[in-house]
Amino acid sequence: MPSEESQDIEQATTKIAPITEGQPDSKTRRYDRQLRLWAASGQSALESARLLVLSSSATSTSILKNLVLPGIGHFTILDDATATPEDAGNNFFLEGPSSIGKKRAEEAVRLLGELNDGVDGKADARNVEEVLAKGVEGEEWLKAHTLVIAHNLQQSTLDQLSDVLWKDEDAPPLVVVRSAGFLAEFYIQFHEHTIIESHSETSPSLRIDKPFPALLEYSLSLDFDNMDPTDHGHVPYVIILVRALEEWKKAHDGSPPSTYPEKQAFKKQILAMKHKQDEENFDEAEGQAYRCWTPTVVPSEIKALFSDPKLAALSATSPPFFYLLHALKRFVEEQPQHSLPLSNTLPDMKASTGAYIELQKMYKTRAEEEKSIFKSYLPADVEVDESMLDAFVKNVHAVKVMRGKQWGAVDKEPKTLANFIQTSPKQLAIHLALSALANLITKQQPNAPLTPTIESLTVEAQALLPSGTELPEEEWANAVGELARAPTADLPNTAALLGGLVAQEVIKMVTKQYVPIENYCVVDLIETWTGIL
Amino acid sequence: MSTAKARTAHAKAILGPQLHDQLANTKVLLVGAGGIGCELLKNIVLTGFGHITLLDLDTIDLSNLNRQFLFRKKDVKQSKAIIAAQTAAPFNPNVRITPIHGNIKEPQYDIEWFQQFDIVLNALDNLDARRHVNKMCMAAQVPLVESGTAGYLGQVQPLLKDRTECFDCIPKPTPKTFPVCTIRSTPSQPIHCIVWSKSYLVGQLFGEDEDASGELDEAEQQGENAQEIATLRKEAQAFKAVRQALRTPGAGGADAAKLVFQKVFNADIKNLLIMTDMWRSRAPPVPLDFDTIVDGTFELRKDTGSAPAAFFAVNGVAKAQANGAEKANRSGNGNAVASGSKVPVEKEVPVAATTNGNGIGSNANGQAAPALKDQKALSLKDNLELFVASTTRLASRLQNGEESIAFDKDDDDTLDFVTAASNLRSAAYGIEGKTRWEVKEMAGNIIPAIATTNAIISGLIVLQALHLLRKSYNELRNVHLQFKPAVPLSTIKLSPPNQQCGVCRDTYASVLCDPVRATLGAVVKGIMGDDGREISVYEDQRVLSDPDWEDNFERTLESLNVTRGKFLTIVDEEGEVGTIAVGLGVLPPNHPYTEPPFILPSPLPKPPKKIKPAAIPLPETPQRTSLKRARSLDLQEDENGVIEIEPTPKKQKLESNKRKLNEDEQSPSKRRKLEKDGLLLMDGAQDNLEQEDFIVIDDD
Repeated sequence: MPSEESQDIEQATTKIAPITEGQPDSKTRRYDRQLRLWAASGQSALESARLLVLSSSATSTSILKNLVLPGIGHFTILDDATATPEDAGNNFFLEGPSSIGKKRAEEAVRLLGELNDGVDGKADARNVEEVLAKGVEGEEWLKAHTLVIAHNLQQSTLDQLSDVLWKDEDAPPLVVVRSAGFLAEFYIQFHEHTIIESHSETSPSLRIDKPFPALLEYSLSLDFDNMDPTDHGHVPYVIILVRALEEWKKAHDGSPPSTYPEKQAFKKQILAMKHKQDEENFDEAEGQAYRCWTPTVVPSEIKALFSDPKLAALSATSPPFFYLLHALKRFVEEQPQHSLPLSNTLPDMKASTGAYIELQKMYKTRAEEEKSIFKSYLPADVEVDESMLDAFVKNVHAVKVMRGKQWGAVDKEPKTLANFIQTSPKQLAIHLALSALANLITKQQPNAPLTPTIESLTVEAQALLPSGTELPEEEWANAVGELARAPTADLPNTAALLGGLVAQEVIKMVTKQYVPIENYCVVDLIETWTGIL
Repeated sequence: MSTAKARTAHAKAILGPQLHDQLANTKVLLVGAGGIGCELLKNIVLTGFGHITLLDLDTIDLSNLNRQFLFRKKDVKQSKAIIAAQTAAPFNPNVRITPIHGNIKEPQYDIEWFQQFDIVLNALDNLDARRHVNKMCMAAQVPLVESGTAGYLGQVQPLLKDRTECFDCIPKPTPKTFPVCTIRSTPSQPIHCIVWSKSYLVGQLFGEDEDASGELDEAEQQGENAQEIATLRKEAQAFKAVRQALRTPGAGGADAAKLVFQKVFNADIKNLLIMTDMWRSRAPPVPLDFDTIVDGTFELRKDTGSAPAAFFAVNGVAKAQANGAEKANRSGNGNAVASGSKVPVEKEVPVAATTNGNGIGSNANGQAAPALKDQKALSLKDNLELFVASTTRLASRLQNGEESIAFDKDDDDTLDFVTAASNLRSAAYGIEGKTRWEVKEMAGNIIPAIATTNAIISGLIVLQALHLLRKSYNELRNVHLQFKPAVPLSTIKLSPPNQQCGVCRDTYASVLCDPVRATLGAVVKGIMGDDGREISVYEDQRVLSDPDWEDNFERTLESLNVTRGKFLTIVDEEGEVGTIAVGLGVLPPNHPYTEPPFILPSPLPKPPKKIKPAAIPLPETPQRTSLKRARSLDLQEDENGVIEIEPTPKKQKLESNKRKLNEDEQSPSKRRKLEKDGLLLMDGAQDNLEQEDFIVIDDD
């Protein structure tokens, strides 16, 4: 449906109109609060995404609600079910009793669509078995989506789906969600996930131990002794540290403080630079003194990326991320400082506005210089978007490459499962119970009422473990008891919470921002905790 | 199976028939129909809470629609409570929703009103209202579930008087304030100029006709520079002429905007420059000139892009220098410099101390392209044009009948005005400018908000509410939603009340009265009964009487402005007995006129004795740890970005310490003593009342 909110994000950028006419359009206003988290680039990724959701259960629609609201581009619900009275009681995206007997997917798409007219939703009344049965045609159709979400899908179908999406490395990620009563888990199946904007909480190095020439020169040029008293109390700590370290090294054969007494002596040296007792900038410098003896090195996580197999086999079809990573590797190896390109972001510090801005300018200028050197390591024939390059350099200390496993792989490794009994018994118990339930369903007649007993679930769980392994007694009893009590219940409140958690991870995957959860995320809402297995 | 039965089959299977049937008769108050409120309303409707009262004072804005899913675009400007109730009601025909478009702080929502509810759920975004509801729930002894979100972070906290910490047991950060002179004459950070613009200039030009001299009087009393105050006073008075121009059709528009510009960015700055003393240790501002900015010949400062070395005196002579008492914090969360009277910066602190900050720290400001239109850096001329355009728009609104306009982050005219005015002031003072996007966040105290976080938090609120209703107090948890992908939720067992808490340690009582006839003395004496100890009486911060001054005892409550919804606080003069807080309600309509004009509670409140520190041979160390733990947990995500990993060995140890302590405390003699003091309100071996013994460690 065309509307003023479905305009392309590009139309809302600086390219248009002077600021006096530049009040944000209604789309920017609608998304104001989330744009402050993932910016226009994340929003743009969301709006180009095409999601496929298998089933329109309460949990599925809860997940979708949290993706439609922030403006996912397109979604399809694949579901051949007809809405039942139970559905009407627990699914907010059905119209109560009046939806009973109608196609569940159609009702859900209609009602979800009301949340945001910039989102395109489609109901497909087939079931996933039908799609898979079509062979290549069905597989291609599945792969045409950005991401696939499956809630409580039958085990054998799920296995088949997971195989299809795993055997092709470029196939979309599959999010598997299983829930029963107050217990649940979800898992994201993906081969590879690269993140530039990880929004890491660690900050990049200021390179105080290896000051760039302009910074060093400036710091040495200051006449601390004869400085105006106000100025003296507002020299930023970065400058103080660079200066103090340089003086220290002069007196110590060029070495920074290394032993404990030396470090203490260095701190004293900083405080001795004070003219007045209340000069907080020197106190701050003392507090930050560790930066002088913490060498600026390439973080080990980043170094590890340099031996990524993809770098050795760069080709015309390689994603730009790996070209950037390759350029980074060369930059680190060949540039004399052997460090990451300098970040242009400066933390807050005690300083006058003017002094701070001057310092900021120095860092910015140097960062620009290093960025162009970095850029020169990119092959001339490779096109990398300028904004991607900027983002990469800005976040270079925290870029990430994640590699995943196929869904269900762990259930084929009895020993690994047995190890979890020691390390994470609570998490394991819930995962095993959900797997046992799924296996049990596979074995019974289709559409037979589901009444698993604790004993039958325990037998199924034991079958996944090495023979003779003992289940963790208390944890197992809790998990299996809940499943035996409510094997099919899709409680609205569990659905709501799970909808939030899963949608959150889907947003991370789609925007390639923030770091998604790896492995199985297990959710226990009886005791209110989540865990990772 | 019938439809009605089938629709509740799931819920019944999970909740058990008993709790499920109880829910149908449960009366719940949901305060707030915003981000959390919408989600929560849906959850409690589907879960089957039978009677829901939904209260919100706000109306729907377009920027709500990315998460407040009960609202549609056509609902913008309508009451949140009413629309939310209309949208959610059809989902469960067995539920009755009563929406109220109103403010929870209004006097008719008194203790008696709160007592009709079995549970209260807070879905509020501001600290003030959250604290108010907390106090009312403590007074009415109604269980409360507290919550807040900021970006990806969130928190849920179940609260029950005497059983758990209350919302105020852990002090919350006080709103930021800046000295009035920093705002009015010596700004040094962008936030100073933004505050000046939104809290002062908007009011002076477009607000009600009141002079802003009150805060200047106060500043003067506190010993601020008298000459500076006098200048600022003159400046404020001179607003009359421009106010007039803005309100006069014809003279309005661009001419009036220019008049305003010349006054605040030229004449006023020139006046400040006359006080040469002020500019001896800080850079003087530069008056801006309208015409030369327009024709492009205006020169703000020579040589702003000078070599770095020019900034500090290389040879000891100051050239350009910095603003005096500055402490830097350029992110806008400025450290207030503590002196003089303060200009309040913000009222809203959205999440309990815990999550504030972290979510914002990780926001997407300054992201790589594509940048949004209002993330464009503005030149001096851009700002001038934006100033003229927005002033003209605001002036025409005044001329078209709006009586006064206040800053509202969702009102684009005021936001444009504040953006332009604060940037122009920043330019004059040599402070960096901000984009419209950044100004909105800083001036509007905007907290990023998304659907997913609200969904998770609302789910957690219902779980805690069910525990409270079922009285499964051991299951209660403080739950934090965090940033760490390895541990999305962190859950913490509840801490007992902080014995120093000025809210939940009070003994509450309720007096129904007619304030027109009831005197202070009669009510206070009635409450005290035959207890003759020396007391002082307060209403909020006001002293109404003390042992040597009982003049007000003869006056009626109304004449003292102590009316419905307010509290009389009776404090023991010796500090040996706990405080009594008396909430005022209304007399029943059939109360005979011949009776005294008030009804005392029965039995009369008996506050517990405070135990002297010396009297307790007490395991001091563990207690300190436990208090510290509570405090640090509340602050951790906020200030340090350190996030609790659950379960850490350290924490387990602490918890086992605490458990051990509790067991040690369970001595029969102690229990008897507490019972004698009338304090034991609960039963069960695990109750935390034993913590009473800790009360007075830090008594002062």
